[in-house]
Amino acid sequence: MTCKQVTESFPDYLLGSVDEAAKSEIEAHLISCASCKEEVESLRTIWTKLGTLPVEQPSEALRPRFYAMLAAYQQRLQHAPATPRLRDVVNGWLERWWPRQPAFQFAFALLLLIVGLFAGQRLNAPVAHESTEITALRNEVLNMREMVTLTLLRQQSPSERLQGVSWVQRSDRPNEELLSALLHTLNYDPNVNVRLAAVDALYFFVNQPSVRQGLIQSLSRQTSPLVQIALIDLIVELREKRATAALKELMATEKINNEVKLRAEWGIQQLL
Amino acid sequence: MTELADNLIMLKVRDGEVGKLGILFERHHVPLFNYFVKLTGRRDASEDLVQEVFLRMLKYRQGYRGESQFTVWMYRIARNAWVDHFKKAKREVLFNEDDEEPVSEDPNPSDDLEEKQEINQLRTALAKLSPEKREVLVLSRYQEMKYEEIAELLGCAVGTVKARVHRAIKDLKDMYLELSQENAI
Repeated sequence: MTCKQVTESFPDYLLGSVDEAAKSEIEAHLISCASCKEEVESLRTIWTKLGTLPVEQPSEALRPRFYAMLAAYQQRLQHAPATPRLRDVVNGWLERWWPRQPAFQFAFALLLLIVGLFAGQRLNAPVAHESTEITALRNEVLNMREMVTLTLLRQQSPSERLQGVSWVQRSDRPNEELLSALLHTLNYDPNVNVRLAAVDALYFFVNQPSVRQGLIQSLSRQTSPLVQIALIDLIVELREKRATAALKELMATEKINNEVKLRAEWGIQQLL
Repeated sequence: MTELADNLIMLKVRDGEVGKLGILFERHHVPLFNYFVKLTGRRDASEDLVQEVFLRMLKYRQGYRGESQFTVWMYRIARNAWVDHFKKAKREVLFNEDDEEPVSEDPNPSDDLEEKQEINQLRTALAKLSPEKREVLVLSRYQEMKYEEIAELLGCAVGTVKARVHRAIKDLKDMYLELSQENAI
């Protein structure tokens, strides 16, 4: 045996887990090799010394602690089957209600189907009367939209005022405040395009008397030929006979544009 | 055959006879406690760890296959508990000499001062070993595990275990001699 082999088998030698043949070989080597002998002796000394360390005893508290933990665990195990028991209760309850005869089972299923169909129909039917809450919410939204529209109509920028006009157009039933704001825009907005848009928007609300009245009154206030012509066209389309006087008044104005004058004349003829 | 009986008992614990764990506690709690004391150098932490090992045995009892020795399974749990504890407690807390006296009073107080000093030197030297070396040394010398079992426990080759044990004893010897010389001066 070489020194290396002896060193390698040394841990086994210490534990006494080498067979007799290997053991005698190692011992034979140790007799002939002084350095190996010294090494083995010193290691065996420390290995033996390790055995002198006394066995430690845990404190008195460890055992009761363990048994308390074990008891708690056992208790938890015993309480664990509570859930399946509950399920059994539910199963038993359902079993009592479910008919045993196939004919009754069929009838029961049919009944459930009818109830389901009925419920489905009720749910899908148009809601005749919605809850007050939804109505309130809807009103809230409408109010909000009106407020935004009014604010837009008072903006500095013409494009924003145009947007305001189109917002009025979008509302189904604008209130008086909104319509008078629109008529105000028609009469006093400095921008021609905004005023023209207001004419178009007012077209949607001509069934309101105040709007018709406002349109006729606006004829005398307009200075732009474009707006004047648009108004004349609208009035003619509405067959508003009350506007004849206003048209004549317009024709009598001094600075009237020739095109407008011709248009007004045509309008009067249409309304006759 | 104690080991066979351990296996059978643990199988019963697995299958619902949880109370039988008490037998295993009575058989193994002292060796386990000593294993942890030698690894951590602290008594209070070692008691916590023993409790933790038995708690984990209950928790993971369904995973017990009974294929290998019960002690291999037990020390694998113990080792994991120690690693977790080690991570938590950080190394500097362990073997802090200002801390609580880690060892118990000698049950047979010896008047031999020299012997006491030797034991203290040995403990200090053991504490100075790296955790890996200390582990294999404790398992083979004190827990009387075979190298094959330690290899199975650590998940490495038997040769690796042997080499590690060899180096551990060598290191221990050097440290012990160093301490002896220091004390001799």
